[in-house]
Parts: sequence; structure tokens; C-alpha cells
Amino acid sequence: MIERSSSAMPQSGSRLPSDHRLKDRVTAPRGYWWWRQGRFSVLIDRRDVLALLVLLLALLVASGTYLCLGNVPIAPAALWQMILGEGEAMPRFVVEQLRLPRLVAAVATGAAFAVAGCLMQTLARNRLATPGIIGIDNGATAFAVASVVGVGLSLAPSAMALAGATTAAVITFGLSVGGGARGYRFIVAGIGVGAVFAALTQLMLARSAIDLANAAWPWTVGSLNSRPPNATLVLLIGLVLGMPLSLWLARSLGLMRFSDAVAMSLGVPMRRRRFQVLATSVVLTGLAVAVAGPVGMVSLIGPEIARSLGSPRQVPVLGSALAGALVMVLADLCGRLLLAPLELPVGIVTAVVGGPWLLWILLRSSGSR
Amino acid sequence: MNNPSSLEAQPLPDSNVPCLPYEVEALTLRHGRYTVIEELQLGLPSGQLTAIVGPNGCGKSTLLAGLARLHAPAAGRVLLDGRDIRGLPSAELATRVALLPQEALAPEGLTVTDLIRFGRQPHQAWWQQWSEEDQRVVAEALAAAGLESLADRSLDTLSGGQRQRAWIAMTIAQQTPVILLDEPTSALDLGHQLEVFELLRKLVGEGRTIVMVVHDLTSACRYADHLVAMRGGQIVAEGSPGEVVTSQLVRELYDVDCTLVEDPVTGKPLLAGLGRVQ
Repeated sequence: MIERSSSAMPQSGSRLPSDHRLKDRVTAPRGYWWWRQGRFSVLIDRRDVLALLVLLLALLVASGTYLCLGNVPIAPAALWQMILGEGEAMPRFVVEQLRLPRLVAAVATGAAFAVAGCLMQTLARNRLATPGIIGIDNGATAFAVASVVGVGLSLAPSAMALAGATTAAVITFGLSVGGGARGYRFIVAGIGVGAVFAALTQLMLARSAIDLANAAWPWTVGSLNSRPPNATLVLLIGLVLGMPLSLWLARSLGLMRFSDAVAMSLGVPMRRRRFQVLATSVVLTGLAVAVAGPVGMVSLIGPEIARSLGSPRQVPVLGSALAGALVMVLADLCGRLLLAPLELPVGIVTAVVGGPWLLWILLRSSGSR
Repeated sequence: MNNPSSLEAQPLPDSNVPCLPYEVEALTLRHGRYTVIEELQLGLPSGQLTAIVGPNGCGKSTLLAGLARLHAPAAGRVLLDGRDIRGLPSAELATRVALLPQEALAPEGLTVTDLIRFGRQPHQAWWQQWSEEDQRVVAEALAAAGLESLADRSLDTLSGGQRQRAWIAMTIAQQTPVILLDEPTSALDLGHQLEVFELLRKLVGEGRTIVMVVHDLTSACRYADHLVAMRGGQIVAEGSPGEVVTSQLVRELYDVDCTLVEDPVTGKPLLAGLGRVQ
């Protein structure tokens, strides 16, 4: 255990009569609830709680809507009956076999992309440094497409996408040596790497049989319609492990928003943390790409929504997960409904929304900061 | 150790001689292939305010980074209370040494108290985020830096001097015996500079060891107990300002001619009649 250095410290408190107003009056810092139980003493940020509740509520409403709307509309009352275990067989089939798995995939990929984005942005201290922009999505897609057009779906796309994401991250890091995970060198190198992998993907599609290429295409723009079997399950396992890890990392991430020197001075083992944060981000991205393809915009939009709603005192890991899931569910809902019976891949919807959003971020940040 | 005479052979610590919390042994620091500091030997006295001075690029900030373990040595070692700092876990080092880098930036939207609370993080864990002691120390740090009335103000709305005091309050809340500061007054006007220096004197008076890099030699003479003058990665002079600072040293450090006069109020050396060496 860490030995408290207070015994070695001079009593700087002698100038402040501690028995006056402080004794028996330990209160939570402003804006927090304080939860104490045995050895546990946890601060809960009120604004964060509010933000999480708002996001959770929005996600529940969006999910309900997602299950009800479509080619076979289902009344909310019927949906409620199904939740209670009743209802007719046909709507039951539509909801349980078609829409629910897709909803789960949307929530899981949205959460994974957004948390990965939040981690990477904090690591790089740059809001543009999301896995989508620095080419990790494209790396994962290229490898996964190689598995689809090369050997068919049997060679686990999750593993291939993970390998691709890791490869892209390693190359990007290798190219930005010296600058580390910071500054524009990292981002520019990432954009370059991403472009190369995107070109490789197109090359593979162009050279493969038309049927295979057709099958792989919606997935390369980002779609929830052609999910490889088991990829969602693998992603869910990844989230079950990755979310607690990310939440644990959040304390260090809060300090990593400062400069490296400040974070290290406050006891963050930077080299190890940086690796942990990057690895978590890459794994979540890779597994999410295996399900939905490169829907990179979610990793930009999700954390941004979470930050604007949540407290500035911490890095919004949980908020990003909820916001990302919300964005993904809404985007896929729009994709299914807008041109029905035709379906727009979710990646196109998020790109249409995300492009202007990116412009807005760039214009706003150059204006006010 | 069973033999009692071996205990007598141990030199007893003399309370009059300040012990050295920091000892630097043959330290070499490099930026890539460029050697900034080579084979540097240095001892920093405990419970005193040490100022490291020297011209731009002399390696003083790099030395400070080496003391804080931000910069890994290419050779040699830095001893803190007799232990190599490379062997200390990050969390433990953070309870012994605080560093305030130059022009530290904070995330947007934090208040003064938020910032100071971050200084408690080395003493906390995820399951122990707040305690009576945390509250007391944060309140004391606010008081020590004279920021009570600004406790809930956003950092973005503070003046440069107030913001710098908030940062120093964060390092105070870290409760480390040693505080390292890199040019804590570089961006401040005269009044705010004095504010910061007086706060540092107060902390030294409470028993802390402070090491700061400063540009202004006159301020260093006025406020420091111990002066380390560097040039070209080497230590040129070391000792109490009154003894060390001579017009010859100023010429050696900065290529500047000057006449030293005694400050009629403080008795500390003042630099007068400055001019570039022709």
C-alpha cells in the first residue's frame, strides 16, 4: 500500500482552526452526492446522473420506437404485451427474431464505437482523434472484407477485424513516432493509413466475384443488415469486459486530459495507461466493425453529446456509451424508414448527419478556442 | 549488524546541516541524440527554496523534468531520500513530489475547487474518493493560496495570477514534501509575481522543499535560499544567493555586464547597469 506522506508533512493546518467549522461537517464537494458504506466512499456527480438518466430514457424510447416501426408496424400496446410474454405469433416473430437482434446489435455497436472514440479522444487530447478518423475502422474493415471475399464468412470476421484494427493502430503509431498519441501528426498519419486501407478494401471488392462483392458492399459502408453470425455475441462479450475496464480507466483519463507532465505528477503511470486506453479502444472498435462495418461517425458524435450533457469534471465513458447507442439506434431507424421498402445502410445515415456535425465542431472550435 | 560498534560507525545526522532529499548522481539527460545535461552532480537542501537559474536552453527545465521522472536518464540516477526514483511506483512518487509544469492547461469548465481536488487523487482510490482529510486539505490549500472567495469560480474566468495560484493550490493539496515548479511566474505581471513568490516562501516556512526554475535572477536572489546556476547543461555555481551571485557569474551566464548593488530594503543583491558584453 501507499504510505501516506502526511506524517512526514508539516502541519500546514495549524493556521486554520480545524475544530471550528470543519469538525463533524464533512460534506460532499459542491455538485456531488456522497455515498459511504464501510471502506467505500464514492462521489457521484449530480450533473452526470442527470445526463445519464436523460440519455437512458431517450435510449429506451428510441428502442421502443425501433421495435414498433417498420414494414410491419406494431402498436406500442402490442409490444408491451409481448414484453409480458403474450401476443400473437406473427408480430412476435417480427420483433423477437428480426428487430430485437438488430436492436441489440445497434445498441452494442453504438456503445462500443462511442466509448472507443471517447477513450481515443482523451488519449490524444483532440476531439478529432476518433478511431474512425485515424483509420482504425478502415483497417478493421479491410481485414474483415478480406475474410469475406477471400475465404467466405466462415473465417471469424471478429478476429479478422480485430487483427485489422490492431494493424492500423500499430502502423499509425509507428508513423507518428516522436509525436506519440498527440497532436496533428498522429491524426494526419491515421488519415493516411485509413485511406490506404479503404483503397485496399475497394481493390479487393473490385477484384472479387460480383456476388461476393455485392454481399460485402453494404457492410463496407456500415450496415446492420448483414451481420456475420456470432459477431454480435463476441462484441457483447467484449463490452462486458471492456466497459468495466473503461470505467476503471476513467479516473486516470480525467487526469490525462491535463498535460502529460501534470498527469504523471499526479501519479498516472502514463506509459502503461496509454497502452491500456489505446488497446481497449482498438479492441472495442475492431469488434464493433465486425458487426456493423465502419460506422466511424458514431465515435465522434457519441462522446460529443455525452460531453455537452455531462459534467466537465470527468471523462464521460458511460455517457458516451449511452449516447453512442442512442445515435446508432436512431440512425438505423431512419435508414430503415426513410426510403422504405428500400433500406439505407446505417453508415450512410450517420455520415449524412456526421459530416455537417464535423464541420460544425471545426468551425465552432476555431472560433471560440 | 549484530555488532553494536557498527552502529557507532554510522554518521549521525546533524540537525544543523540540512539533509538532502534530492541527490543527483552523474545524471545525463538526452533529447533524442542531443545531450542536454551530462554527468551532473547536485544536492538539493531540504526545507529550503532552491532556484535554478541560467540562460535559455541551459537545461534547467530538463533537469526539473529529470527530478520529477518525466525525463528518463540516459545515465546516472536521481535519488529521493536515498532511493532511486526509477524504482518508485508512480502513485508513491506522486505522494512525495509534486510538479507544476510551465503554462499548465486545464480542461474547460473546471472550477478552482475542482482543480484542487485533482491534487488529492494520489491519496485516493476509486473506492475511496472523498474523506474528512480530503476536505480539510482542500480547504487548507484554498486558504493558503488565498482563493477562498474564488472557490467556485470557473478557471477560465480567473486572471493569470489567480489561475497560477489555483495550480499551486493543487500541488499544495497533493501534500508532498517536495514541490517542483517550472517558471511559475513567467506569464505574470510584477504584482502577481510577488504574490506567487510570497506564497512559495510561506510553504517553505511550513517545512516544504521547493525547487523552482526561474528566469529573473533578481527574484531568485530575493526569494531563494539556495541558488543553482546552470549553463550548457553544467552547473556553474551553487550556494546561497548572497555568496554565489557576482557580476562575474552574471557575465558567465548571460553574457551581460552589470554592477551588483545591495538592495537597501532587503539586503539582497540587485542587478544594476545591465548591458550586453561588447
